[in-house]
Amino acid sequence: MSVLPPDLDEAGFATFLEQLRGAVGADWVWSGEADMFPYRDSFSPVWNTGEERHASAAVAPADVEQVSEIVRIARRHRVPLFPISTGKNFGYGGPSPNVNGSVVLDLKRMNRVIEINEARAYALVEPGVSYFDLYREIQERGLKLMVDCPDPGWGSPIGNSLERGVGYTMPHFRDHFGAHCGMEVVLPDGEVMRTGMGALPGSDTWQEYPYGFGPDPAGLFAQGPFGVVTKMGFRLLPLPEYYRSGMISVPRRADFAKLVDHVNYLSDSGLIGEVEFGSPLSALMGDPQFLALATKTGGPSNAEMDAAAEAAGLHSWHVELQIFGPEATTLANWNYASDRILSDIPGAIAIAGDHFPLPATDDQLDNQTQPYRSSIKRRRSLGVPSLGAWKIVRDDGHVGFFPVLPRTAEAVFEMQRVLGDAMKEFPTLPPFFNALTMPLFWHTHTFQMVFAPSIKHDDPAHNAITHAAMKKCVAVAAQHGWGDYRAAPIYQDDVSDTYGFNNHILRRFHEQLKDAIDPDGIIAPGRGGVWPRRFRS
Amino acid sequence: MISRREVIKWGAAAPAFAACSHAAFASGVQGCDAFLLDQRFAAQVPQNHWGIPVMRFDGDVTGHWYQTIDPAWRQRGYVLGGITGSDALFVLETLAQQHGRRVVSRSQVGAADARGIAPVSWIIAPVHPSVVA
Ligand SMILES: Cc1cc2nc3c(=O)[nH]c(=O)nc-3n(C[C@H](O)[C@H](O)[C@H](O)COP(=O)(O)OP(=O)(O)OC[C@H]3O[C@@H](n4cnc5c(N)ncnc54)[C@H](O)[C@@H]3O)c2cc1C
Repeated sequence: MSVLPPDLDEAGFATFLEQLRGAVGADWVWSGEADMFPYRDSFSPVWNTGEERHASAAVAPADVEQVSEIVRIARRHRVPLFPISTGKNFGYGGPSPNVNGSVVLDLKRMNRVIEINEARAYALVEPGVSYFDLYREIQERGLKLMVDCPDPGWGSPIGNSLERGVGYTMPHFRDHFGAHCGMEVVLPDGEVMRTGMGALPGSDTWQEYPYGFGPDPAGLFAQGPFGVVTKMGFRLLPLPEYYRSGMISVPRRADFAKLVDHVNYLSDSGLIGEVEFGSPLSALMGDPQFLALATKTGGPSNAEMDAAAEAAGLHSWHVELQIFGPEATTLANWNYASDRILSDIPGAIAIAGDHFPLPATDDQLDNQTQPYRSSIKRRRSLGVPSLGAWKIVRDDGHVGFFPVLPRTAEAVFEMQRVLGDAMKEFPTLPPFFNALTMPLFWHTHTFQMVFAPSIKHDDPAHNAITHAAMKKCVAVAAQHGWGDYRAAPIYQDDVSDTYGFNNHILRRFHEQLKDAIDPDGIIAPGRGGVWPRRFRS
Repeated sequence: MISRREVIKWGAAAPAFAACSHAAFASGVQGCDAFLLDQRFAAQVPQNHWGIPVMRFDGDVTGHWYQTIDPAWRQRGYVLGGITGSDALFVLETLAQQHGRRVVSRSQVGAADARGIAPVSWIIAPVHPSVVA
């Protein structure tokens, strides 16, 4: 389906494209249905419906000067640009824009790893650098640094962190935007700005002190429509000498409260990396009677769940711990963690897991040697990019709603109940929220849960259910104070609506900024629910 | 740019891979620089078939991507054929698009499983002027 940019006719569009070709070369501008197919969101629940968002063209600049030139051309023609880095944002809109007819500013050619400093543990990269690229550079140069990767390694540190994406190593590195340090941005008028110490000519601390002096606007560029990021620095974890894992399980449902508190303490103290919570009872979900209990309206009681656990001879919960550091320290941390939990929770059991020096061997990365059944994906836990995440994708893809909730068992149980009951309206979807749904400890200081219903290109009825369920989940969660951390363009307004404190002052503030620097909406209008005046009506 | 003739040739070749008869396979792989076999669906083809390297994997293409395909796709040329699950093809096709390459031929060669994954026989070739041989 070919579309035009808003307020532009065929002739105006042709002139605009001609000017883009003049800026970057004819080979790096695409339009027309076949060429634009890759810029559709193949995970879209509104695939092939009137709600799907289509770009009109794509342009791939080679450097920051060309980015500025493209922005100036777009400004002259009032054409919205939608910048992407590697464009793999599947589950959250893929490479597709908020506004129909936008031109995708595809930064894939800007793929230089500009600097990696081993002694000072940072990297400075361009948007087209993928996690694989950064990892390869580190390996080939034999540097002792670890990259914190998202599950699929084909995305980019810049694209992922601008979505506030997450990884799986130590707490402060898992929050990818939090681990950034310094950025270069092309503003909606084509000017190039650097944040933090990058604003001080001659400074050598751009990737070490993020703030510089005065207000720091860096946060506006994450999930925001304020500029095109052309360089970004990232803090890297020095490659730990040793990795150690272990599992601790607790018998009763109510024990989860103490288990979570201990894990919080260990994490906040920097003693452990990412953890995986789980329940041995999930083995019973194939039994219809147990399934009915775990998905019971209003949630099962602790006594009912404990009785089921006892009958099956299983513990209620477990947590897999991962520890990084020198070998002796990892052992001390494991001993400390298991003593701490076992001495506080009667009946808790600790099983020491795999441990080995880093870098890991292929067998260790494949995680075949644990003395227990592990759900840890070792590659991502050890900062090794992978494409294996595709094994978990069902049908033609999925959309994601990941509500943020407090790190307490009480909040976990409440979300299980509330969203479990709400989603009963959609009986054909899997019971994402049930009495065993585990919190994910991805961001540094908070939990999330996952709701990721699938989509099917040839089944619009199924997609409509997924779409309705997403909207309902966002709304019901918000009624309980749980907000989504990130959303596809088709849901960004719904999510933004839920962040409504004081008559949506946060959004109104963003709109004032947008109106001031980009009234025509040249950069990603609508991203993060922020629309300029031109599109608000 | 690949020629129309080549597209037609590859269009005929992909289904031939799937037949896995040695003769069909031999004619099909002509013009391919390497061949990717997803062992979940096709296990019989020998390691080095008619001089063309055959890369085997079990659904997760990471190792071959990192070791072979990514470095090859940074250069000009390199036509890749394969019989893989549709999930693995989605991964490769998406990566291909970013590297100036496209699926120029594909045919589903079996029914989809419960997760919606079907075996597909395909060819990915360079199409952008910056990477055509
Ligand atoms: C199976 C599966 C597992 C996943 N696991 C994870 C995971 O573990 N962690 C995680 O975080 N995500 C995960 N994702 C989501 C997604 O795949 C990744 O976050 C991916 O890294 C995002 O794509 P990208 O890096 O190519 O970013 P892009 O698609 O390039 O960028 C994302 C968005 O950021 C904005 N943007 C990008 N570049 C710029 C720029 N230079 N200037 C201004 N704005 C820009 C755009 O709005 C763009 O749409 C998963 C998805 C799937 C399907």
